[in-house]
Amino acid sequence: MSATRIEVKDLVVRYGDQVAVNGVSFTVGRGEHLTLLGPSGCGKTTTLRAIAGLEQPSAGSISIDGQVMYDGSKRRSVPTEQRGVSMVFQSYAVWPHMTVFDNVAYGLRVRKQGTDELKANVERALDLVQMRHLADRGASKLSGGQQQRVALARAIAFSPTVVLFDEPLSNLDAKLRAEMRVELRELQRRLGITSVYVTHDQEEALAISDRVIVMNVGVIEQIGTPEEIYNRPRSRFVADFVGSANLIKGRPVGDGSFAAEGGVTLKVSVVHKPTGGETEVAVRTAYIDLEARPGDNHVPGTVRQRLFHGDFVQYVIDSAVGPLIVRRPPTNLLDEGAAVTLSFSPDHAVLLEV
Amino acid sequence: MRGAEPALTVISGEPFKRRRNWQAIITVVILLVVGFLVVLPMVFLVEESLNTGDPMAFPPQEYGIRNYLAIFEEDINVLWNTLIIAVMATVMAILIGFTLAWILSRTNVPGRAMLERLMELPYYMTPLVGALAWAVIAGPKSGFANQLWKGVGGGGDLVDVYTHFGIAWVMALFEGTVAFVMISASMKSMDPALEESARVMGASKLRTMLTVTLPLVMPGVLGATLFVFAEMLGSFAAALVIGIPGRIYVITTAIWDSTLAYPPDYGRASAMGLALFVVMFGMLTFYRRVIARGSFATITGKAFRPRPMDMGRLAWLFFAFCMLYILLAVVLPIGALLLTSLQRFATVILSQAQFTFANYQTALALGPVRTALVNSLMLGFGVASVGVLVMTILVWIIYRSQLTGRGSIEYLVMFPQAVPRLVFGLALLWAWINIPISIYGTLWLMALAYFTVMLPLGVRTLAGVVLQIDKSLEECARVCGAGWVYQMRTVTLPLLKPGILAAWLLIFMACVRELGASVFLMGPNSKVIAPSIVNAFATSGTELTAAMALIQTFTVIVALVILFRLTRGMTRELT
Repeated sequence: MSATRIEVKDLVVRYGDQVAVNGVSFTVGRGEHLTLLGPSGCGKTTTLRAIAGLEQPSAGSISIDGQVMYDGSKRRSVPTEQRGVSMVFQSYAVWPHMTVFDNVAYGLRVRKQGTDELKANVERALDLVQMRHLADRGASKLSGGQQQRVALARAIAFSPTVVLFDEPLSNLDAKLRAEMRVELRELQRRLGITSVYVTHDQEEALAISDRVIVMNVGVIEQIGTPEEIYNRPRSRFVADFVGSANLIKGRPVGDGSFAAEGGVTLKVSVVHKPTGGETEVAVRTAYIDLEARPGDNHVPGTVRQRLFHGDFVQYVIDSAVGPLIVRRPPTNLLDEGAAVTLSFSPDHAVLLEV
Repeated sequence: MRGAEPALTVISGEPFKRRRNWQAIITVVILLVVGFLVVLPMVFLVEESLNTGDPMAFPPQEYGIRNYLAIFEEDINVLWNTLIIAVMATVMAILIGFTLAWILSRTNVPGRAMLERLMELPYYMTPLVGALAWAVIAGPKSGFANQLWKGVGGGGDLVDVYTHFGIAWVMALFEGTVAFVMISASMKSMDPALEESARVMGASKLRTMLTVTLPLVMPGVLGATLFVFAEMLGSFAAALVIGIPGRIYVITTAIWDSTLAYPPDYGRASAMGLALFVVMFGMLTFYRRVIARGSFATITGKAFRPRPMDMGRLAWLFFAFCMLYILLAVVLPIGALLLTSLQRFATVILSQAQFTFANYQTALALGPVRTALVNSLMLGFGVASVGVLVMTILVWIIYRSQLTGRGSIEYLVMFPQAVPRLVFGLALLWAWINIPISIYGTLWLMALAYFTVMLPLGVRTLAGVVLQIDKSLEECARVCGAGWVYQMRTVTLPLLKPGILAAWLLIFMACVRELGASVFLMGPNSKVIAPSIVNAFATSGTELTAAMALIQTFTVIVALVILFRLTRGMTRELT
């Protein structure tokens, strides 16, 4: 068997005149945890639902384990229930008229599993999410976090090869979300499930994924590991949407140099094949030091504003290349009006594609 | 969800293929049946209305518009009566509805929750029962009010319900609650802060109501006015019970009357029916426009916590107004009917009364009456049971599937709402006289007719529940591997259960009270209760009629009590 679980090719989904997904292609490897990240309306959920067969694409193809699930040119589509995927819904979709046990057993009953085996499998799934003690509880009497766990147990109970997650944590409060994030990652690793995860929360995407796909207005902006996405954003959109970045305007002058506004020349890293028409360089707010380090780009500036956030301090620095935002640990506070030297490595100044 | 493009083929799992097609098969069958039931009678009606030859000939030998012209030439006074009564009734109904809605949603009237419950009662009393009761209360000479008036020495009649105003009065009393529901919906969706800021700026309560509340709820009131006016134009029961003895004909009673002539003038009746339908359809279309435009920022779809204004001692006056309405629309009519039904000869002077249960014995023992009651109950059970099943699938197709053209299905299903019951009954009559399947004059035809006219009621009730169910609950079943039938059985239908029960009871009640379509379709061997009550009123004494009306009302009340038990807390839609 090949290492590819899911292959999506040139997927297009239209709603009437609107194009929700406009030619998206990617693959998901066995056991990989892939996240579709983007703002609302970027087509990430539509893409996920198309993989599940809940959304009817207009063109392209989707295959799972080498089997064609959808092929626009041959007008073929396998109905949802025969695709063998599983899904956790944003609203959890825990059936209120059933007990926790019945919810989790649903997929097994559909598959006509014997009583003993079914019971063992349901209990195993409930154990994984620490919900076994509530097996007989009516599903309508559960808290949000508990419903979330039931939805998760239900999704993995029938041992699917692929689990799709549609913003499963977005309805939980911040603290519970952080906990569930850890648990989800743990579970995913332990079971070795292939998963596709949709979220608009960039922190969540970076924390739990093997690879991230950043989407915007129906197309893919960038595919890469969380580190690649963060350190080497390809476009202004990615730099802006994932983490926080300063954008410095100017033009490339060849050989890894960039003539920024204000007459400053910066050493930058060029990941893509440059066209010469680029106009922006992205520098992460966390990667700028306020003391000169050897080998870095150095830009003089003055502290205009200081905001104390607790976990970090945010400075707005007026510099030759324009106002820059810098986030530093909350130690050695600088006063407003202080003169500083901004210092950042050429590795962290990324020339953005046009 | 699948089924969107039938051209798509399944490539894996041949054995699943049959399961997949169920949805398509059921959809097509139901659509054909519903289309046949809804559209065909109307086609027959149009054809007959253009028939200027022998009215009983089918297909017509001559076509023309003479039937339409005749309405204006010979029945112009009928049109005037209709218009005058509808306008009077609408004005009264809207005044009642608006005042009640304002009191109950904007003031701190005592016992608000209880009053709101009580306001639903007139809706469940049928206009037919109401009209009978008011004939007993305010009929000339023997009416209770006039008996009392004579008893205290008054000369002549104090009140006479057999007038234009009398008809309008009865119609307004029972349509007032519909206006109330519609207007209070628009008042409840208004942000109380809008009124409060007027108060903060220094406006008095009255000024606030006139300058802020009233303009903001105006679109809602206008919508209710149009809707109620359309209903008034097509209303039949009050005009039948009160208008015919008073020789005041409106369009609905004129339609009925022309089918009683010998030979029955179906052409004339069809033309009048279609004219009425066109006017009502226009009104309802206009109503939808008004509602759709929504206007202003008040209708946000957000429910606001009601913050009623403190009315001080005036609150008790408002309380009295609400109770007066209940007294006139419910307590007095039921009381009068009860008193009448328990006597040999109805009188309100209790010292002369001879009390007896004989009327109830007669009603229940009399062959035709008992048969009619049993038939109505049977139709209610049958139509509600089969109907709810079909309607559930229809609702699912309209609001959940991605079937192309499901919007037009919705239109088709809601179509009978725009057709006055009476006109639809006429259309069905004419259609089934001429369709060579001999079910005319049987309960089967009544069942088909009831199902068709109940479609909008059932579909709307069920749609309210279906739309409340999160779509992903169903999608999740599919993802878990369930086919359509399995998903419907294990997830959709169980979740819909409360809504299905509510729809069942509403349809059952509506069937037991059905009058408009029944009068045309009832045969000697397929009598039902509501037209039998009308017949009894015309031919036997009021005492027996009152007993029959109360038996029917009691049946509806039992169903109603069950409904409230089942749906406590569930929001219900009246209109």
